[in-house]
Amino acid sequence: MSGPAIDVAAWSSRWRTRSPGDKLLLAGGGVVVALVLPPWPAGVLVTAGSVALAVGPAGVDPRVLARAARAACAFIALGAVSLAVTWQPGRGFVVTGDGVAAAAGTTVHAVAGTSAMLLLATTTPVSDLLHWMRSRGVPEVVVDVAGLVYRLLFVLLRTAEAVRAAQAARLGYSSPAATMRSAAGLAAAVLTRAWSRARSLEEGLAGRGFDGPLRVVAADRPSSPRFVAASLSGLALVVALSAVVVLR
Amino acid sequence: MHIAEGFLPPLHAAAWTVVAAPFVVHGARAAAREVRERPGNRLLLGAAGAFTFVLSAVKLPSVTGSSSHPTGTGFGAVLFRPPVMALLGTIVLVFQALLLAHGGLTTLGANVVSLAVVGPWVAYGTYRLASALRLPFAVSIFAATALADWSTYLTTAVQLGLAHPGGDVVASIGRFLGVFALTQVPLALAEGLLGVLMFRLLARLAPEELRSLGLHRALDAEDGVRLPEGKA
Repeated sequence: MSGPAIDVAAWSSRWRTRSPGDKLLLAGGGVVVALVLPPWPAGVLVTAGSVALAVGPAGVDPRVLARAARAACAFIALGAVSLAVTWQPGRGFVVTGDGVAAAAGTTVHAVAGTSAMLLLATTTPVSDLLHWMRSRGVPEVVVDVAGLVYRLLFVLLRTAEAVRAAQAARLGYSSPAATMRSAAGLAAAVLTRAWSRARSLEEGLAGRGFDGPLRVVAADRPSSPRFVAASLSGLALVVALSAVVVLR
Repeated sequence: MHIAEGFLPPLHAAAWTVVAAPFVVHGARAAAREVRERPGNRLLLGAAGAFTFVLSAVKLPSVTGSSSHPTGTGFGAVLFRPPVMALLGTIVLVFQALLLAHGGLTTLGANVVSLAVVGPWVAYGTYRLASALRLPFAVSIFAATALADWSTYLTTAVQLGLAHPGGDVVASIGRFLGVFALTQVPLALAEGLLGVLMFRLLARLAPEELRSLGLHRALDAEDGVRLPEGKA
């Protein structure tokens, strides 16, 4: 296992070398526009635009994008069902026209916002975002701890997968009781490995005289005026089209 | 239970961000103080955050036939204290949004309040209360973990009910509670059991670490040896 598929997509995206701030402007703008403006046409345009940019210029594998979206859609579907049904005394749960309209609108907002967020997530590695955040004045300790979490989680995910495979091979997940025992063993093993790895790193760094933030070399990714202009134009177009539809 | 991107209206998203901010700032200050006093603990904080993230990859059986993952807020609060969990929880929620498409950026404030503030404080409060009442350690951990899950789920239902009242806020909150109860009630019980089993294993595998975190009660419960009580 090489880590979450979204992270792999971000490292191999054609937009990998673009400025994180530029991509945050585009994707964050998409999220805000999708949230503030009516679902039609803004939500639909943001969804279509985000997916088209991700699989087109950014070169993200459509299957990775679809798998990532599927995870988010589980909550969106559950929330939409909750909005669509209403409890009425004597009649139980009933589906009303207003409920369905509210569920549809919220679902479009959520799908559009998730698409725009995925555009950022599948084109920008977290380490680039952290470097950008540090340069924008986010407190050192927050960026430092976040950087450590990011660097350690891949090792721990691999450990968790190996432990789980070993448990499964010994029928560790053959019944609900066995699953509980195995899950507890897995969590305890991951935590003790995390502690021991952190202690080893600490001793290794202390031996080399490091006692401050763990600074690493990060490539400078300058902002592109053309990308920024195109992003702002695209967002302005969505706002203008929404205004036309609403005012008509 | 993470609220997906775009599910909260802009004003609600902004309001929950304002509510979450002081807890996260307090957590960042607590972490900064910890790192200043003991520089090596920076790596332990990173390890704790990575562990919380990896917990979402642990599958628990669910009565609905599917499986679900633990939230980890209950164990995290007992192990690392609520202020630190506010910061670690926020970092983990950002990573879950960016690496797993679980949650969102505009809903981050609301998710921080339910998962990184309310859940950990309820867990820690329950654990301290159960310890003061001298309840067995296993009961304390089970109650802390299960109540952390239920309070998180209740907070999420309130957040969604306020955002989508449909004419009656109370009925709307009840509707979200009813729909989520199918998965969250058994999941909280399963996570409570997971917490008990995990601490029993940790008492055998990592007694020194538990002692350094002030969790002497976990060791007492495991081997019956009465050790001096630290800041539990």
